[in-house]
Amino acid sequence: MPLLNEEVQQQVREQLSNLVNPVRLIVFTQEFECQYCSETRQLVEEVAKLSDHLEADIYDFQADEEMAQKYGVDKIPAVVVVGEEDYGIRFFGIPSGYEFTSLLEAIQSISRGEPDLSQEAQDYLSSVDEPVHLQVFVTPTCPYCPQAVVLAHQMALASPMVRADMVEAQEFPHLSTKYQVMGVPRTVINESTHVEGAAPESMVLEKVQEALASAGE
Amino acid sequence: MDFEPKITSLGTQDSEQTGSMETAESYELAIVGGGPAGLTSAIYAGRARVSTCVLVGTLPGGQPANTAGVDNFPGFPNGISGSELAQRFQSQAERFGAKIIPQPAVEVDFSKRPFSIRSTRKRYKAQAVIVATGAAPRRLGVPGEERFYGRGVSSCATCDGFFYRDKQVVVVGGGDSAVDEAIFLTKFADKVTVIHRRDELRATKIYQEKAFANPKIDFVWDSVVEEILGDEAVTGVRVRNVKTEKTDMIKSDGVFIYIGMEPKSDLFVNQLELDRQGYIVSNRRQHTNVPGVFVAGDVQDPYYRQVVIAAGTGAIAAMEAERYLGRYT
Repeated sequence: MPLLNEEVQQQVREQLSNLVNPVRLIVFTQEFECQYCSETRQLVEEVAKLSDHLEADIYDFQADEEMAQKYGVDKIPAVVVVGEEDYGIRFFGIPSGYEFTSLLEAIQSISRGEPDLSQEAQDYLSSVDEPVHLQVFVTPTCPYCPQAVVLAHQMALASPMVRADMVEAQEFPHLSTKYQVMGVPRTVINESTHVEGAAPESMVLEKVQEALASAGE
Repeated sequence: MDFEPKITSLGTQDSEQTGSMETAESYELAIVGGGPAGLTSAIYAGRARVSTCVLVGTLPGGQPANTAGVDNFPGFPNGISGSELAQRFQSQAERFGAKIIPQPAVEVDFSKRPFSIRSTRKRYKAQAVIVATGAAPRRLGVPGEERFYGRGVSSCATCDGFFYRDKQVVVVGGGDSAVDEAIFLTKFADKVTVIHRRDELRATKIYQEKAFANPKIDFVWDSVVEEILGDEAVTGVRVRNVKTEKTDMIKSDGVFIYIGMEPKSDLFVNQLELDRQGYIVSNRRQHTNVPGVFVAGDVQDPYYRQVVIAAGTGAIAAMEAERYLGRYT
């Protein structure tokens, strides 16, 4: 049974009809002990069929350990979305429900190769010379969440120092506990700082600066 | 899998771009707001071949997207999830040619025609405008609320319910949303306490019956929340009984607030006539005090706040806009 019905397939085909450069969807999965691994793989494979510019690569988390390390994948299911290069855009947990939108947005902006951010934001991000790790915690039933995920992914696209993960809270409860996630979206920045809610670009940037400043002390 | 892939229009929001602001996109009709009212307007306008754009706000699909389910929208005998209903509205609007713009409006100028609307990215010009910005959850305004918002205090049970598995939560309010979401939260929480300032619920009877029959739900009547307590995390609320003036602590891991809505009309202060509560004033044909600017949905409705009524006023506003644009003679 396909996960995407005929109607959704058509919508996705239309949305992805404007892709410019090829995009690769790299899935890390394994057969056992992973709640949504097989669905994630299936979802990505179905999406990849809907555009000539898309390609799905499937790796086994354990058998292909080297690849997992190369892409910094430490939990599964994981989807790494890469274009001409790896911009640091990750999905941990199934990108379904509202997060399906985030996946389509990631594909489109990577294919375009240009972040959809203000000039000031791009200028700042390209000047960042330390690693920034954004982890956006979501639930698939949260309508506000894709805004936070898409924003984080745009920031990753804007700077080689930024990596941005969607983290589906229900599939990684230990991380939800570790980062005290009691509401979504919540963006954790470099372990030290966080932003609650679908915050505007300027506010997230401020928090990134804060996180980098506190690390430098 | 219990969550279907959903496609909603959105983009990154709120970047103050000044460079490309000079060139405005022109439409006959601009709709501000992407909930049931705005999208119904877009369906009607699209079918009338009015060139139409819809500026979607921070919650694509509007308030239904933030509810577990909609059981009273005609045509869905088994109910429909709020998000799916919202998505269907949007697909239907797009089918008839409406351009969905993923950024919210941040500034409007209704003082001259064409009307001007600025999003976080671009400027738009339109001969007619429909304002359908909707309403946002009202806050309690008590100590602790701001501090714990997003980490123990929430207005979105569908988003955050999961985090209260096997925990205790309180729901503040007594209307449809409060009672419906309290029922929804029993899927996760062990115990849901509804705190209401009166001695009976305002919610529709069918919700009341379900809630009273649910063993996980109990009620604290005649009481208001005065403080949200906690150190690192929420541990409870302090309530005051409005009849006896007695205060009491209720243990809780989370607080869900459903005490009604506030119209999202900030953008239109000094542009349109608002009533004392901030609702946009309109006549029965959805005209505002500015000719060519129409209004629909919860931003002009202090009474009903129903999807079906928002959609209805959206249809009226669109037909009036069509008339204004000279589509009828």
